Amino acid sequence: MALDKEALKDAIEEKATKSPKPQLYIKDFYACDPDSKPRVIKNVANEMVREGRLAFWSSGSTTMYGIPSRIQDEEHSKED
Amino acid sequence: MAKHETPLLDQLESGPWPSFVTDIKKQAETKPECWDILGILELSYKDRITHWKHGGIVGVFGYGGGIVGRYADLPKQFPGVEHFHTVRVAQPASKYYSTANLRKLMDLWEKHGSGMTNFHGSTGDVILLGTRTENLEPFFWDLTHEMGQDLGGSGSNLRTPANCIGQSRCEWSCYDTEECCHFLTMHYQDEIHRPAFPYKFKFKFSGCPNDCVASIARSDISVIGTWKDNIRIDQAAVKEYVAGNYPANGGAHSGKDWGKFDIQKEVIDLCPTECMWMEGDELKIDDAECTRCMHCINVMPRALRPGADQGASICVGAKAPILDGAQFSTLIVPFMKVSADNDFEELVEFIEGVWDWWMEVGKNRERVGETMQRLGLPTFLKVMGIEPIPQHVKEPRSNPYVFWKEEEVEGGFERDIDEFRRKHAA
Repeated sequence: MALDKEALKDAIEEKATKSPKPQLYIKDFYACDPDSKPRVIKNVANEMVREGRLAFWSSGSTTMYGIPSRIQDEEHSKED
Repeated sequence: MAKHETPLLDQLESGPWPSFVTDIKKQAETKPECWDILGILELSYKDRITHWKHGGIVGVFGYGGGIVGRYADLPKQFPGVEHFHTVRVAQPASKYYSTANLRKLMDLWEKHGSGMTNFHGSTGDVILLGTRTENLEPFFWDLTHEMGQDLGGSGSNLRTPANCIGQSRCEWSCYDTEECCHFLTMHYQDEIHRPAFPYKFKFKFSGCPNDCVASIARSDISVIGTWKDNIRIDQAAVKEYVAGNYPANGGAHSGKDWGKFDIQKEVIDLCPTECMWMEGDELKIDDAECTRCMHCINVMPRALRPGADQGASICVGAKAPILDGAQFSTLIVPFMKVSADNDFEELVEFIEGVWDWWMEVGKNRERVGETMQRLGLPTFLKVMGIEPIPQHVKEPRSNPYVFWKEEEVEGGFERDIDEFRRKHAA
């Protein structure tokens, strides 16, 4: 049975926090709930961006998701 | 007064053609950050390496596309381009602008950005080059609230859909490309502004097989106008062309004497399927053999027109050369009615079928055409519920093995093998 929205958000946040890489593809979150359709996971991830729990990172051709502070830390480390 | 010495770039001004270096120098007179573009480019020519970094978390609130982060890797040396983000503004359908609209857009970009532009990017958007992160939200506010325009797509989003001029000015357009493009742009706002897919996704709409937006080469779903019945022939106009009273190609090749129009040499002999011939002074076409190349219609537009039973062919999977080279999209649906009367229902259903499959099985950074190539056209057709037809076959098979599915085998895979062998003794 698919997770409810809040449980799915928590699972996505945990994945984004524990992942070795600060940026993740949307497909990387599919494993958070194999019973949820890709489109549902995409909608939840985008809602989390609006809430500030995730942020977009884009190369221009590809867009990834991550915890805002982790992405910012990585960006700053590149500048140093 | 130039801020940097640019001898290599200066050479590019010496030819007879217009030079982007001259343009940037002119722009730098009012936007001094443009001197740093020339400086960093000159250094890249010397170092033979780019000094641009791309990507980042720049964007406007609520949107996951439309802004592409660009930074210089030598910000102290070139402070004017420390941030030099690209903004993609959705173009109007068919790229119809008023000069008032363009002036206002340019004023806005002079206010918030470098004033440099690129009309248009290959997706079709207006590309505004160079602004700082802190200018993005004010620019976006003015763009949306003062001009009623919107950002386009970037990243793993649906990219800004594009279309040819369609029925607004072209009598060959077999469906209303502007209506279709506008409808789907509004219908898929979420997919344009927020990343949804494993990678970028584009659709483009051409009204006829001339394919003026090159959708077959550039879009994941190409919607190309076509017709089901026969090319409409006006035999009286054919005679006028033969007599030299109407200029061939609508007069497009005037300015040089190409000699008398020769219908045999210029039309009939150039038909790729050899489906045309003259009977006396009448032109005949075996329409069943026509591949919709459009050549005869292009040469004799007053005599020939697309058929009256019109719709579109749907092709899937074009892409540029990152993996396995560039590829054209593959014909999937030879004919589909494309109409606003039913909100483009059949096309919407098709698009979402492709997305559902690709979002599930597509790898990260894999275009749908690459997914089709990896898993095979038969798999794609099966998923889409489309029966294979001769138009799907590119060439005779080279794989001698036939794999049967259980439902295709009488009695299934669990049938009584002894009973079978009694009837088919070795």
